[in-house]
Amino acid sequence: MAEKNYYSIDPEGKIKCMKCKVPLVKGKAKFLYLDNGFPVEMPVCPVCGFVYVPEELALGKVLSVEKALEDK
Amino acid sequence: MAYIKERESTHIYHVNRMSKEEMDSMINRCIYEEPAYCVAECPMKLDTRAVLSAAAAGNLKKALSLYEKITPFPVILSAGCEAPCQKACKLKERGEGIAIREVERAIAKYGERTKSSGVFRMRKKKKAAIFGSGLFPLFLAGELERKMYPTTIFCQEKDCSDYLKTCAPFLSEEEHTVELARLKSLDLSFEFGCSLTKEFIEEKRDEADIFCGSAETARVLLPDCSIDEELMLVQELNMVTGSCSTVMEAALGAKRAALSVDRLAQKLSPAANRGKEGAVATRLITNLEGIPHSECIPMGENGYTSEEAIREAGRCIQCHCEECFKGCAYLREYKKHPGLLAREIYNNTQIIMGDHQMNKPMNSCSLCGQCTVTCPNGFDMGNVCRSARENMVSTDKMPLAAHEFALMDMLFSNGEAWLARKQPGFDTVEYVFFPGCQAAAIAPGTVEAAYQDLSERLGGGVGLLLGCCGAIADWAGRQEMLEDTKEKLKTELAKMGSPVVIAGCPSCMKQLAAYGIEVTGIWQILQEIGLPSSASAVHAPAAIHDSCGARGNKEVQRAVRELVEKMGGTVVETPYSGDFSSCCGYGGLTSYANRDLAKKMTESCLDRTELPYITYCMACRDRFVREGRESRHILELVYGTDAGAPPDISEKRYNRLSLVQNMLKNIWKEDLVLEDPGFTIEYTEDALAMMDDRMILKSDVVKVLAESRETGEIILDEPSGQYLCRSRLGNVTFWVRYTETETGCLVHRAYSHRMNIVKRAGQ
Repeated sequence: MAEKNYYSIDPEGKIKCMKCKVPLVKGKAKFLYLDNGFPVEMPVCPVCGFVYVPEELALGKVLSVEKALEDK
Repeated sequence: MAYIKERESTHIYHVNRMSKEEMDSMINRCIYEEPAYCVAECPMKLDTRAVLSAAAAGNLKKALSLYEKITPFPVILSAGCEAPCQKACKLKERGEGIAIREVERAIAKYGERTKSSGVFRMRKKKKAAIFGSGLFPLFLAGELERKMYPTTIFCQEKDCSDYLKTCAPFLSEEEHTVELARLKSLDLSFEFGCSLTKEFIEEKRDEADIFCGSAETARVLLPDCSIDEELMLVQELNMVTGSCSTVMEAALGAKRAALSVDRLAQKLSPAANRGKEGAVATRLITNLEGIPHSECIPMGENGYTSEEAIREAGRCIQCHCEECFKGCAYLREYKKHPGLLAREIYNNTQIIMGDHQMNKPMNSCSLCGQCTVTCPNGFDMGNVCRSARENMVSTDKMPLAAHEFALMDMLFSNGEAWLARKQPGFDTVEYVFFPGCQAAAIAPGTVEAAYQDLSERLGGGVGLLLGCCGAIADWAGRQEMLEDTKEKLKTELAKMGSPVVIAGCPSCMKQLAAYGIEVTGIWQILQEIGLPSSASAVHAPAAIHDSCGARGNKEVQRAVRELVEKMGGTVVETPYSGDFSSCCGYGGLTSYANRDLAKKMTESCLDRTELPYITYCMACRDRFVREGRESRHILELVYGTDAGAPPDISEKRYNRLSLVQNMLKNIWKEDLVLEDPGFTIEYTEDALAMMDDRMILKSDVVKVLAESRETGEIILDEPSGQYLCRSRLGNVTFWVRYTETETGCLVHRAYSHRMNIVKRAGQ
């Protein structure tokens, strides 16, 4: 069965890894916090594996999940 | 740079138990829920305060339903009640007390009755028989009807109206009509026109399970019977009865009698488990400050009309003890009295699984101790919150996010920005100046001037100690860090020859004294040695904002005032000055855990006066200036320095580092070279504002940029042409968005998240 992704972002070829000189692609990543994991699809460099977390996501969904977990 | 370890998991299924006694010892000090004076006096236990509140709001229906809780016949009770509540009314100290009985009479007369559906009312199997008429049998019939005993009344009267007239002859015609309708609506059976002879009573008594009646009927059976007035019982006859002469005696006696009926019906001892009856004592304290003189609304011959009753009830001040709320923005924010809030916060520490919903309130108290002086019983909300924080830290359930920035700041103060030196030329020193981390961060020039002055004018050598006293760890509930700080400070002081510490901050002074270190305030020293020549003249009158660290320390409070006066200033006292001072919002780490509330705390301090503030804690000065109030720290005035506009979070760190650098260079002739990243970093205005708001330091940005230059891990956002890089520093991932310049970088944006992101296997 396919693993559920909590969030999915496609970079649509607009973001480039400067180290590997290739565009970032939609790839599998995982947010980890306080022993909890959330599989997501994020812009990832297909060569070095750099995962990009956009500002809107960091200050939106990610922050709200952080806060919810912190009070567990 | 040392980092603080994040807790490892949310799956922690143990708590550090707090004993009930431990909780209750503090919680019971709060008297908010104590009965009002009128309520405590009422032997019927009527919630008079609530009745008056409903009436004042014009809701006579609700008022009546509250009144009906204590009696089945409100009109009779209110007409004949002796109103001990009125004698206890607090308003009597400001004129006339509320005419409670008259208000209740109007409520009973004009209030609309709430219809009960009766769907779930199940009649009991045991039947009751009541013989005779009078107030006691009538009230008892009402009480038994409420308890769902099928009840029959045997009386000589010819009908209900006649019966009511015999029982309550003092009712006006209007009142009689209202109460008659009520009596008729009750689920009671009547046998009228009975001749209550011994034979008749004995015959009918045997048909019922419970035998009740007036005192006269009891005497028909047994002329010299004695009635137990507590249990309302004639033991020989097993008869529930009472000889009550007043309405109140009857109403109260009927309540006691109904309880005896319950016991007898269940074949239990009527004397067992009766609970507390009658009036109670109250510990309530209501402050009448600001309550104007007032008198009763005049009333006509037939008592109050409903409008008059509403107006009279409107005079009620709803006695509560709210002393702590008045000065505390924190308690006002959560709208809960400390007893309740403390219970919820204690309970929060005892949650094994699930959400800790009180984490934020627990971390939002400024621990300033104002409630210990405003509360008549010395309730200490700060102590509750601090011990709850310690408890949560001890089980690893405390979220680090709320306090991490402040704790890191403390590590910085006691790491990179730490300085401990004896005065040049001295092997040991008699004094050491400890200005505190905020003075070094906000007014480094003032610290430098103060040290130079002290070392010149005090004999015996004056050392310098730049660092944090540990208050931050204490406020965060981190006992281990507190102990480390204490040891560090003690070791350093021992090396200097155990000098007397001259504190520049009242909170440091309090903290150091708690470690057992000999400490005095710079204000007291200046009082002794006099002002330096640099002291400015204070022309305009100013208000003093007392520091929460100086609460209870009259000596410090007085010294500061005297210094201001010596400089020619006039001190204007504000409400809540001295021991009653409120926190500026910095204390207890409120400004980190709940920034919005901290702002309200600051505003609440500023609302007390329009005058400029003179403070003796640098954090207060900083927060007041930030909110636009002209405000100076006393040492700025003493040394003629001006710390200027409030620094942002990065400048606060830079100021501490540059203070260490300057002091080393100017006093100890040592050079300290600050680290240079090797490329220039500029910031847009937006970026600077954003970083201050998001608690991102310039030093964080520098580290991220430096690391990415080394690893080459940089991405390009092609539509904007901006680069992005990131680095995990401690428990936080920082992202920087920038463009290249000829000599380095121009930072456009910065953000952070605590979650860690990793790549999963596969694409």
